[in-house]
Amino acid sequence: MESPVVLSAENLTKRFGKREVVSDVSFDLVAGEVFGFLGPNGAGKTTTIRMLVGLARPDRGRVRIAGFDLARDFAKAMSHVGCIVESTDLYPYLTGRENLLHFARMLPDGAQARIPELARLVALQSRLDDRVATYSLGMRQRLGLAQALLGAPDLLILDEPANGLDPAGIREVRQLIRHLAEDRGIAIFVSSHLLAEVEQMCDRVAIIHRGRTLAMGPVRELLAKRGAERLVFRARPAARAAEILGAFSRDGAARADDEETVSSEVPRESVPDALAALAAAGVRVFGVERQSSTLEELFLEVTGGETV
Amino acid sequence: MRFAPLVENEILKLLKRRRFRVALLILVALNGLIVFAQTQAKDRRPQRDWRIEAQERVARMQNWERSGRLPQTQLRWVRFEIARVQYHLDRNVDPDAISGPLFARAFANASSYLLLPLLAILFAADIVSSEFAQGTVKLLLTRPVGRARVLSSKLAALGVAITLTVALGGVVAYLFGGLAFGYRGWGAPVLTGFRLAGETFDPGAVRSLPLWEDALLAFGLAWFAALTVGAIAFLTSVVLRSTAAAMGTMLAALIAGTILPRVAPSWEAQRYLFVTNLPLPDYYSGSPAPITGMTVPFSVAVLTVWALAATAVAYAVFVRRDVLA
Repeated sequence: MESPVVLSAENLTKRFGKREVVSDVSFDLVAGEVFGFLGPNGAGKTTTIRMLVGLARPDRGRVRIAGFDLARDFAKAMSHVGCIVESTDLYPYLTGRENLLHFARMLPDGAQARIPELARLVALQSRLDDRVATYSLGMRQRLGLAQALLGAPDLLILDEPANGLDPAGIREVRQLIRHLAEDRGIAIFVSSHLLAEVEQMCDRVAIIHRGRTLAMGPVRELLAKRGAERLVFRARPAARAAEILGAFSRDGAARADDEETVSSEVPRESVPDALAALAAAGVRVFGVERQSSTLEELFLEVTGGETV
Repeated sequence: MRFAPLVENEILKLLKRRRFRVALLILVALNGLIVFAQTQAKDRRPQRDWRIEAQERVARMQNWERSGRLPQTQLRWVRFEIARVQYHLDRNVDPDAISGPLFARAFANASSYLLLPLLAILFAADIVSSEFAQGTVKLLLTRPVGRARVLSSKLAALGVAITLTVALGGVVAYLFGGLAFGYRGWGAPVLTGFRLAGETFDPGAVRSLPLWEDALLAFGLAWFAALTVGAIAFLTSVVLRSTAAAMGTMLAALIAGTILPRVAPSWEAQRYLFVTNLPLPDYYSGSPAPITGMTVPFSVAVLTVWALAATAVAYAVFVRRDVLA
């Protein structure tokens, strides 16, 4: 089963003066998939998004949305898109409802009728008639999302949707994004500088750095490239634990970082045995955690050691 | 995509913001203050025959004229004023009679070169730049609506706001003026078209109009001047993307326009500046033009060119430029 391509970026290139901030970025998004656009701050993510939604003109390359060339058929192409670029900026002196009405008036008829449903979806019904100036950051973020969904888009472009949200808010946004993609078949483009965020909600991911795509593919495949996972054991005495864990580790080594911390590349299937061996040797284990690898480490893997 | 809802959006945003209420407040406060000041002045003056007062004024001005100590620009004005008062005297009309309608009519002259342009700037300077400052421009320009249409809706809303302000200015002036000097008198004859032909007074062009017609013309000219300033402020708002910078630029231009004709009346090329042409209701009613040779049709033409050029540049810049705010 082939899903239709909703967004296609071909060789997008953008220069500011002599500096090339985005170079030859290409990707396709199909209906119902969540595509992560991962890169550190300043990698060219926002500039790419600006080109995707027509705020900036690419110096080279082309954007097609639902089959329409963005440069030539701007209005037709954009009628399929909902987006949040950079931050969710809405009119602070208008109420939530007035903001939604304002943007609904810029869409084909029918958008106004969706306001109650969308307010419920982002849990803002009770505050909809308050001025946005009184909203918390999370509420503004959610109102921004409602605004992006007003036109019943086939493509949602979200720039750092979790920025400024508390953990509960991040979880809500993540669930909402999965729901929109899986149940409504919306293609969703999400940019982020946080690996964990992309890992948890995206099907496919492109890694961008210094304006270039370094890697692209299903999230699991890319994460596999990250190499063995590191486990951190909180155990006493650490020196004894390191001796034992060395035998279970992939590379035969375990390092005692201080008197209670040992890190080691123990494969997942060996963890129970390693714990049993530690217990048998009288080592007291207080905890085991997976060391979350950072975006920088992933870059090191992907680029084969080129410095970030 | 229909155009009317876009204009509705822009008008809503203009009206919902504090600056529109501030503009109304300025109109009310200023008119109130002027009326109050005038009633105070009137009360203190002993009741006298207006004919005697006018004759004394003419005599006083003739003395100035003969003294030979007046600079050329003031001399022109004095000669004109002598002729105007004398003309009224000859026809037994009080040149200084005041009524609510006359007060409203005077408001058109007094407000066309500073107050109304100022209010036009207040709206226009921020209509585009505020979207950049708030970051809402990113939402506005990612709708299925072309940039030219977005800009057109803003221009239309600006036109509505300026029209409304000029109209409200007239109404407020009439209400306040009427309160102090009586609400009747729209049909009173007005002598207009005073003109200096060279150094002498040319009575051939003087016409008598009912006041309401004369006031309508004067307000029309003031409205046109305000629209032109609005279009130019709109351009600065588009180009500078900062409300403060746009306001500063426009205010500097307005101030230059009030100073230049006084300090450098012999610099003829300034007649092509838009600011020099703003007091056109004033010389429509017969005051000497800021620069000799400027006429109402000339000023209307100059202002039209400025407004059209500013609008064209605003579109060209807005439609093409990348949005990186």
